[in-house]
Amino acid sequence: MLKLAIKSLANRKTSALLTVIAIAVSVALLLAVERVKEQVQANFANTVSGTDLIVGPRSGDVQLLLASVFHIGALNNSMSWQSYEKLSQNRQVEWSVPISLGDSVSGMPVVATTAGYFQHFKYANQQPLKLQHGEWFNHSEQAVLGADAAEKLDFRVGDQLIIAHGTGGISFSQHSGHPIDVVGVLKRTGTPVDQSIYVDLKTLEDIHGGETASEAEEHAHEHTGHDEHADHHHPTSAISAALVGLKSRQMALFMQRDINTADGEPLTALMPGQTLQQLWKTLRVFEQALNGISAIVVIIGLLGMLTILLASLRERSREMAVLRAVGAGPGTLFTLLVTEAVLLTIIATASGLALLYILQISLAGVIQQQTGLLFALQWPTAAEWWRMLFVVVAGFLMSLVPAWRAYRQSLADGLTVKV
Amino acid sequence: MAYAIEIDHLAFAWQGGQLTLDIPHWQVETGESVLLRGPSGSGKSTLLSLLAGINVAQQGNVSLLDQSLSNLSGRKRDRFRANHIGYIFQQFNLLPYLSALDNVLLATQFSPKRRQRVAESGQSAEQLAIQYLKRLGLSASQQQQAAANLSVGQQQRVAAARALLGAPELLIADEPTSALDSDRRDDFIKLLLELSEQNNTTVLFVTHDASLGQYFNRHVELSDINRAAGGSPHA
Repeated sequence: MLKLAIKSLANRKTSALLTVIAIAVSVALLLAVERVKEQVQANFANTVSGTDLIVGPRSGDVQLLLASVFHIGALNNSMSWQSYEKLSQNRQVEWSVPISLGDSVSGMPVVATTAGYFQHFKYANQQPLKLQHGEWFNHSEQAVLGADAAEKLDFRVGDQLIIAHGTGGISFSQHSGHPIDVVGVLKRTGTPVDQSIYVDLKTLEDIHGGETASEAEEHAHEHTGHDEHADHHHPTSAISAALVGLKSRQMALFMQRDINTADGEPLTALMPGQTLQQLWKTLRVFEQALNGISAIVVIIGLLGMLTILLASLRERSREMAVLRAVGAGPGTLFTLLVTEAVLLTIIATASGLALLYILQISLAGVIQQQTGLLFALQWPTAAEWWRMLFVVVAGFLMSLVPAWRAYRQSLADGLTVKV
Repeated sequence: MAYAIEIDHLAFAWQGGQLTLDIPHWQVETGESVLLRGPSGSGKSTLLSLLAGINVAQQGNVSLLDQSLSNLSGRKRDRFRANHIGYIFQQFNLLPYLSALDNVLLATQFSPKRRQRVAESGQSAEQLAIQYLKRLGLSASQQQQAAANLSVGQQQRVAAARALLGAPELLIADEPTSALDSDRRDDFIKLLLELSEQNNTTVLFVTHDASLGQYFNRHVELSDINRAAGGSPHA
């Protein structure tokens, strides 16, 4: 029966092929939506591990997380150095790393931090950052570059770079009086770390505070909030956020509540994992809309198959009559048509999956350059298998229509062919 | 005495039409080869559809191999036909996309009884099919060709091999030679009858061509057994 179905399909190659292509493309789309969602979530979840709390100025959790770790968006406020010092001396806190954002080199974000960043920041499965070339910075006027940043800006160890004020691609205020030496390049991590340029907190302070007279004038209007340079014991007066590791993870919830409700400077503390969940929850509507659209595309593909199968029944009335004549009952014809449609759907689904992998392999480089997302090659996940099963079952259900028609038609026509 | 075909008080009319067939009594003995002749429109096709069990007589009885067809359900008639009757159609009815050999093998694919008889012969269905096709004059390479690429004569021989595979008790042929020139037609009929005899298959050969009568045991004019004057609605 299977052999007969295959040969019959092979006889109608063109329409069968078109059907397979239509369904395969729609299946690839359906799977891509799931895969992109899943990989984006995995990528985001991979970016911070080992950090129990992120503390910053009062703002929305999602905004603080996106700005501090993913360099998406910006923070309107800053957090004072005093608050940071107070936080770092809390007895629950095992380590804390300050970060200061807002400058860039040709659009790549500059993260001003301390050497502690390289020690404590972990990504993926508790992986520490590693150097590809050179060494960590140990004083100001030195920078360590993420893998992508080094590649895109074409900087190597020993080169000098100029930090620009602001995060846009083109800045009109370059801190050209303060060239920074590149001393190290990080190994690729597949996280936003790759896109970043790391400098010492003091560097940022120096270039903003100790500029040449003309530059200082130029910047006067931009730096009105930054002019508390009197206290030179501190590396800086204000930071964007702090990454915090706790002695005991279980304390995170209490610490978070303490910080959020404390008197003094209004701060926000968040747990990265929980905030990511919150983010996905807000994005679920869009995800569902995409899913809905791709499901409709699949159904359109299957309807195309239905149309082709129904149209072919007319020209196949002879084939049906022959099979009836050699003893195939109407039930056998029914089974034959269902087998044919299910076979088409399975081939199409497999091709769709293959197409997905081909797209993923060929586009992975572009996606990584554009978004920093690393799309891992992997076997289909359970969710993807379910989607494929959905397509095959839908194909099976649709095939019942032409199969029923063939059944009725063969009963009516008998063995004679009405040409 | 067992009859391969036995018709009793048969009356059949197409819906709303006049009587097409009115056959008081007619029979074909087992092992006979009978030529049934009638001009087009004389009710040949109608009689064949009754014998094949596609249509059922409104009155009377049609029995094949002592089995009354009117007592069988549609599905059982299908199975009975597949198991016991080899049928060669006017248009041969091959599946164009299957090879000649696969077309022949279709005969056993849907009939357990034919498979069984093939098994009893001690050969595989494929071996037998190849033998038949070879005897009917199709070379090994022709046997592997898609039916659509064969000539009319070759297609007809494939149809004959299919009807004979699995040694059905009864072979019914409906004008299978109408597309052949007379030399090829005579060769074909001789071969067909020879193979049928080996299988003890009863043959009913329906045609409008009286000149073929010499090859058969018996020559019957449909007008001699059918009392109805009217023809089929297709006439």
